[in-house]
Amino acid sequence: MPYKLPQDRPVTLRERLYFPEIMRGLGIVTNHFVRNLFFARDPNPDILERRSRATNVTLQYPEEKQPYPPGYRGLHRLVPREDGKPRCVACYMCATACPAQCIYIEAGEVEGDPIEKYPKKFVIDELRCVVCGFCVEACPKDAIRMDTGEHAPPHWDRKSHYLDETKLLRGPPVSYQQDPWLRRPSPGIPAADLEAMRASARPFHTVATDEYCQTPGFSVRALAAEAKSRGK
Amino acid sequence: MKRTVGMIVAIGALLAGMVVLSLLCYLAAGALAGVAVKLGAPPSYGAAVANALTILLVVVMVTASLLTVAERKWSALMQQRIGANRILVFGNPLGGVPYLLADALKMLTKEATSPATRSRLMFELAPVLSFAPVFMLFAVIPVGPEVTVLGQRVALMVASPDAGLLYIFAISSVAVYGTSLGGWASNNKAGLLGGVRASSQMISYEVSLGLSLVGLMMAYRTLRLDEMVVAQGYPVLGFLPALGILLQPAAFLIFFASAFAETKRAPFDLPEGESEIVGYFVEYSGMKFGMMFLAEFVEIVVLAGMVVALFLGGWHPILFEGWLRANLSPLWFAAVGGGAFLAKMVFLTWLQLMLRWLLPRFRYDQIQLLCWKMLLPAAIANVFITGAVILIDPSLTLLAWIGLAEIVLFVGVTAVAARAPAEEHGHAAHAAGHAGGH
Repeated sequence: MPYKLPQDRPVTLRERLYFPEIMRGLGIVTNHFVRNLFFARDPNPDILERRSRATNVTLQYPEEKQPYPPGYRGLHRLVPREDGKPRCVACYMCATACPAQCIYIEAGEVEGDPIEKYPKKFVIDELRCVVCGFCVEACPKDAIRMDTGEHAPPHWDRKSHYLDETKLLRGPPVSYQQDPWLRRPSPGIPAADLEAMRASARPFHTVATDEYCQTPGFSVRALAAEAKSRGK
Repeated sequence: MKRTVGMIVAIGALLAGMVVLSLLCYLAAGALAGVAVKLGAPPSYGAAVANALTILLVVVMVTASLLTVAERKWSALMQQRIGANRILVFGNPLGGVPYLLADALKMLTKEATSPATRSRLMFELAPVLSFAPVFMLFAVIPVGPEVTVLGQRVALMVASPDAGLLYIFAISSVAVYGTSLGGWASNNKAGLLGGVRASSQMISYEVSLGLSLVGLMMAYRTLRLDEMVVAQGYPVLGFLPALGILLQPAAFLIFFASAFAETKRAPFDLPEGESEIVGYFVEYSGMKFGMMFLAEFVEIVVLAGMVVALFLGGWHPILFEGWLRANLSPLWFAAVGGGAFLAKMVFLTWLQLMLRWLLPRFRYDQIQLLCWKMLLPAAIANVFITGAVILIDPSLTLLAWIGLAEIVLFVGVTAVAARAPAEEHGHAAHAAGHAGGH
């Protein structure tokens, strides 16, 4: 034979006696039983170390959900501006980058503004989407994100899976100092809104951090700090 | 918090329910007895009916049906799972107890299909034959001491025949007919295999089961279980009472193993063998399956009751017994005794459920080997040694000393040998994984 097969270990006297082994096993099973009977794991899924003295780690799914990791790509959303319009300028970059060709955009011109475009229609077929995230990478205006932390929900018909701009446009509004519609007089935006947007505009992020690239309200650091404060 | 509340509510409701059920049974029995006295029957008739109703229906049936839930929940606890918790009562799973109702409803309303080629009479008879005998076994087990209620002597057992133990042997032998008939009558190869396995296994273990108790019969000089339990209350070594487990520790192990094999549960569940043959009840569905299923749990309760009555002092609340007897009225002492019996019984049922997850299923030849080559010779040797010792010293003191020595020896050997094994690669990692509990 080219190599030696692992042989079973010879049975020791203790195992031949059999009863001591039963007693040992009884101890192990009793240990589990008592610990799981009198202690329960923490039902809060945000706690990283969830089992106290219990050995049970089951997450009861529909009621308790595991937080997704920071890079999780959930359902798309269109990022709004403070005036409620999408940040999208209908440049077709995402639709071009999309390998599944699931993004359909119809560009429209902003009333009274010779430069700005906006998406008259912005439809994503979530059934065709391969959740690659290329659209988010391609977007020059940080107008499309996949930070909702949601699955594509189930529906009875295909049409419900086509998310148009009314369904996609949600989440907290965002403005950056580099936004072109803030750096020049934009006749398409009411003056009061424009002032407010300029006031709240942030510098464009160069490094992906929690705040910019993740699920709103989700923070690994906060979770870790919380777990630490609980003594773990 | 919710879990604690749920546990308290569930256990409290169960206790209250059992008390109310017992009370209702006793009231019904009292009414029946009144009718019987009018018709000319003796007044003790009422006590008999009350015991039959209460002990068999409340104690055995309720415990057995609760065990079906306990099997799920306790198994889950042992295996780091959650267990049945989807039925919520006001948002609380109540320890899975509501599953009892769901299961009963399911069993009763399921379509009862049966194979066209069955032998009809035997097929229909088998569930009854497997259920009734195990149910009958509990009749001779004393749940509490005799009490005087309204001038009537009431023994807290259904029947007290002179041939108590022989009755147990006889009826437990009958129990095999249900399983083997069920396997045979379904005209199914897997079912037949299960039935054949069940009959051969149970007939083998009958032998060591019977022989293991001969020592007890000799020591207590009686076959009646109530007298045996009373005899276990007398001190034999200083303060130590003459418990069956003290006088006959070897017989205790042999009896427990044999009776455990009789219940057809893991590690002796070859007749069922879910992974290889589905078992003797493969063709049964609906409540017919439910009866065979429930019979298994009734057997657990009965086995626990028998072991308690024969070896663990029955209703004797061993600790503080003299004080309790002196300071409580006889009725309250009987209640404490019944509680002690139930507590011991619940512990033994828990042990049986635990053994299921502790030991893997034996191979068929291992089962026969365990019975014929280990338990049977040990039982026979036990009979002869016990006989000789009782012949030398009829006061049981020598027997108790020998039993004590056996226990000490056993515990010593186990303690010495049960230390964690010498760490070796592979096996050691496996053991550590278990101990660490992932």
